[in-house]
Amino acid sequence: MIAETTNRLFAETPLVRKKQRREWVARLIFGMMAAAMIIPLLLIIGYLVYQGAPLISWDFLTTNPVGGMRRGGIWSALLGTIWLVGVSLLIAAPIGVMAAVYLNEYARDNWFNRIINLAVINLAGVPSIVHALFGLGAFVLFARMGRSVLAASLTLAIMTLPVIIASTREALASVPRTFREACWNVGATRWQTIRRIVLPNSISGILTGVILQVSRTAGETAPIMFTGAVFFRSISEGDFFAYGLKEQCMALSMHLYTVTTQVTGAPKPLPYAIAVVLLGTVLLVNATAIVLRVYLRSRKKW
Amino acid sequence: MSKTKFARSTILILTIAMAACLTQPGCGKRDGAGGSGSVSKTTVQNIGSDTMVNLAQAWAEEYAKVEPSVSVEVSGGGSGIGVAALINGTAEIANCSRKLEPSEIEKAKAKHGSDPKEFMVGYDALSIYVHKDHPLNEISIDDLAEIYKEGGTITKWSQLGVQAIPGGKGDDIVRVSRQNNSGTYHYFREVVIGKKGDFKAGSVDLNGSKDVVELIAKTPNAIGYSGLGYATPEVKILKVAKKKGEPAIQPSIPTTLDKTYPIARPMFMYTPGNPPPHIQKYLDWVMSEAGQKIVKDIGYVPLPKS
Repeated sequence: MIAETTNRLFAETPLVRKKQRREWVARLIFGMMAAAMIIPLLLIIGYLVYQGAPLISWDFLTTNPVGGMRRGGIWSALLGTIWLVGVSLLIAAPIGVMAAVYLNEYARDNWFNRIINLAVINLAGVPSIVHALFGLGAFVLFARMGRSVLAASLTLAIMTLPVIIASTREALASVPRTFREACWNVGATRWQTIRRIVLPNSISGILTGVILQVSRTAGETAPIMFTGAVFFRSISEGDFFAYGLKEQCMALSMHLYTVTTQVTGAPKPLPYAIAVVLLGTVLLVNATAIVLRVYLRSRKKW
Repeated sequence: MSKTKFARSTILILTIAMAACLTQPGCGKRDGAGGSGSVSKTTVQNIGSDTMVNLAQAWAEEYAKVEPSVSVEVSGGGSGIGVAALINGTAEIANCSRKLEPSEIEKAKAKHGSDPKEFMVGYDALSIYVHKDHPLNEISIDDLAEIYKEGGTITKWSQLGVQAIPGGKGDDIVRVSRQNNSGTYHYFREVVIGKKGDFKAGSVDLNGSKDVVELIAKTPNAIGYSGLGYATPEVKILKVAKKKGEPAIQPSIPTTLDKTYPIARPMFMYTPGNPPPHIQKYLDWVMSEAGQKIVKDIGYVPLPKS
């Protein structure tokens, strides 16, 4: 008797069925939108690899462009990108991380720190071409660095700083406040707490943020065009120190741009092959970040 | 723990080093000799004309084999960029597909204390391009002016006697031009439109010599100008007549050198004042037979053999 009543009470009414149908449709639409994210990525990678495949080889990476950049490889451009990214990271990472530590651990909510926050947010929104002009004015001309790897790296560093600061702050904020409070309560200073508790517990997030930043730097063209990347320069193959800080360098993104816009009669796969190498470098770096994060997370204490 | 400690101190030291480097202007000052690299190389900064950038690249590539101790850094952007870099001191050699203006010479002199030195390194026959299937074969400068200048009367191909353009849409002329810091733009304006005139609004202004040719290759209705070195099989080069009724001349090495082709121009390299020995040596090589052979290979017109 009771069972019958419950069955009747909870039986599917037309309204319930309608709700379920709608639920299903909504889920399908949202799911499809999420899945759609994969499609452009696969299409881009697939298309680039398919088009560039005939040229990609180890020699392509390790030889210089020859014959008016129509033949040969991309060594000089690849090395230039590695230099630019490396140097800009050496500059931006320490400054960015320390700034973030200050903002997250020390800064009180007063007008001065609010201005710093505002500056960081606004700096992140400055278009890269504006950074380029700033780099040209400040580093190349005013600081008399000339167009050089150093000037270009500094420009890139300034561009990446706000993002490094933002990601580091996020990593620091993810360390529970109770950890800090426990530490302070046994008499530790702020610096001791940061050193022993906050940094070790957030290092995975910080490193990931910093490394992911590399991918952005590697692809930038505008900021380096004005400050240190050249159309062409011949360097010795296989020498990792072929560029000096005060010299200009080639870069992959710039090379891709010049090959597509300037070089007549370049083989069709060439720009695609360059794009594949650029993309490959970025994905490799991102993969490193993921591996590092997984490794460091596995050692986390909570 | 000790590991992170080490990492932290490394970061600190690096930051201090960077800061020290930043505050010291000498750190970035280029003195010709290579920087902190293991090989000591002399670098030469070569910036400028988009028309000449492929040529400059070919020279730099070849010169690396001739003189491995000198590394020529080539960048493009346009003659205007080269001149600006020459004046503000970031270029040791500026490529320019036009002569320097008196005002530019003055500015350079004010900055460097001496007149920029001019080196003629080859010629370019400024070529008029149309789509390869276009029926037109020749054009006069007068007609070009009517097409390009402000207030010019020619806007349709039928006004030039062209009835049907294979693959074309309609009769309108699509004018392809260059950005205004281009030396090619300045030269074209000077010889075709006249110094006082201006370009008709509504042209497609592109940033590169190669872009012009590529757009024309895809656009049957288009006409445009670019360096002779940028010719491809997908476009046709028009013969050019000085005036209506005069014979039209095909741009080529002989017609450029005997000056029968009306819109040929010299290409220059400028140095701020007298160049130091290693740059003089490079320029000498550029103007030598070996350097001039490259001019020909790229598709431009080498200097006449003296």
